[in-house]
Parts: sequence; C-alpha cells; structure tokens
Amino acid sequence: MANAADDEIKKEVAEHKILIYGKGTKSMPMCGFTQETIVFFNKYGYDFEVVDVLRNAEKREALSQMTNWPTLPKVFIDGQFYGDTDILDEMERKGEVEPLLKKAFGDA
Amino acid sequence: MISQDALIKYIKEAMPDAEVTVKDRTGTMDHYQVQIISEAFEGKNLLDRQRFVYQALNDPMKDGRIHALEIKSQTPTEATSA
Repeated sequence: MANAADDEIKKEVAEHKILIYGKGTKSMPMCGFTQETIVFFNKYGYDFEVVDVLRNAEKREALSQMTNWPTLPKVFIDGQFYGDTDILDEMERKGEVEPLLKKAFGDA
Repeated sequence: MISQDALIKYIKEAMPDAEVTVKDRTGTMDHYQVQIISEAFEGKNLLDRQRFVYQALNDPMKDGRIHALEIKSQTPTEATSA
C-alpha cells in the first residue's frame, strides 16, 4: 500500500537529479556521513538537494523499505538509488561518477 | 554495543564460508569495520554486496547495537588477486 511517505519520496526523487536523504540540512548537517556526502558532491559542482529525515521516522522507514538499505544517508542520482559514499567512493575510484552526473544533467 | 564474536556469528549465519576480519574503529563496540571474503559476493555489484551484509546484520543494525559499519566485501578470487 503506497502511503504518503512513499509518494512524497517518489516526487522528491523525480524532482532532483541528485538527492541526499540524511540527518540535518545542507547548511547544517547533523551527522558525519551526511556531511561526507555533501562534501563528495560539492567537488563535482552540480546542483544537489539534501532532505533532512532525522526526525521523520515514517519517511525513514519508507526509504529503508523502498531501497532495502537500513542506513542514512541515502543517495539518489537521476532517480536511481546509489547507497552512500561507501559505494560512491568506489565508483569514483573507477571513474564511474563523472559520466553518470554528466548524463544526468544532460551535458554528456 | 555488540561483541566481535556476535557480529561474526551473524555474518557466518548468512555466509557460512565467510572469512571475517573485524576492527572496532572507535573502541565503543558499535562502530565496526568488517572485511568479508565469501563466495556469496560472486556476481554481485558493490551495492548488492553491501545490501546482503546489511541483511545479515539486520537485527543489530535495527536495534542500534551497531551504529556505523564499514564493509569491505571480496570474493575469494578477488582477495587472492588483490
């Protein structure tokens, strides 16, 4: 049963090419891992959104169910789920992040 | 907090063949780095490997015994060629 949280998430994921669900906001991250993810994307210079779900248990549960991934932050690029910086660092090492972002922002 | 043995036991339940090395990153028994070598990772990309390990540790992750987890996942062939 798709609930309000699911719909909200789907809308947000569609609206932002790069979307980080984390603890705190872009200007005030409340967790080291969320901050790490912000630093990661700042390097590329593309626009990205941070959605604070620290105090939104229902949305956090919906996100965990939807992605089968228990932790925060959760990163979506171009509507696809990519886990967190553990995954993105590895992808960056293999040079997979730059082309992915270029494709997402349509300047490939 | 969770002991290293309990952590290894959870992992072994999902991956009986796993070779597991555990490092307590902060000394608080809830920020761990685990290095796992298992056939179970064969043909899985990094995201699915991490998901598989998180599923194996679903209970201690959910109830907070594990706060943060850094996962290094390799197949036996990757481990020997690394």
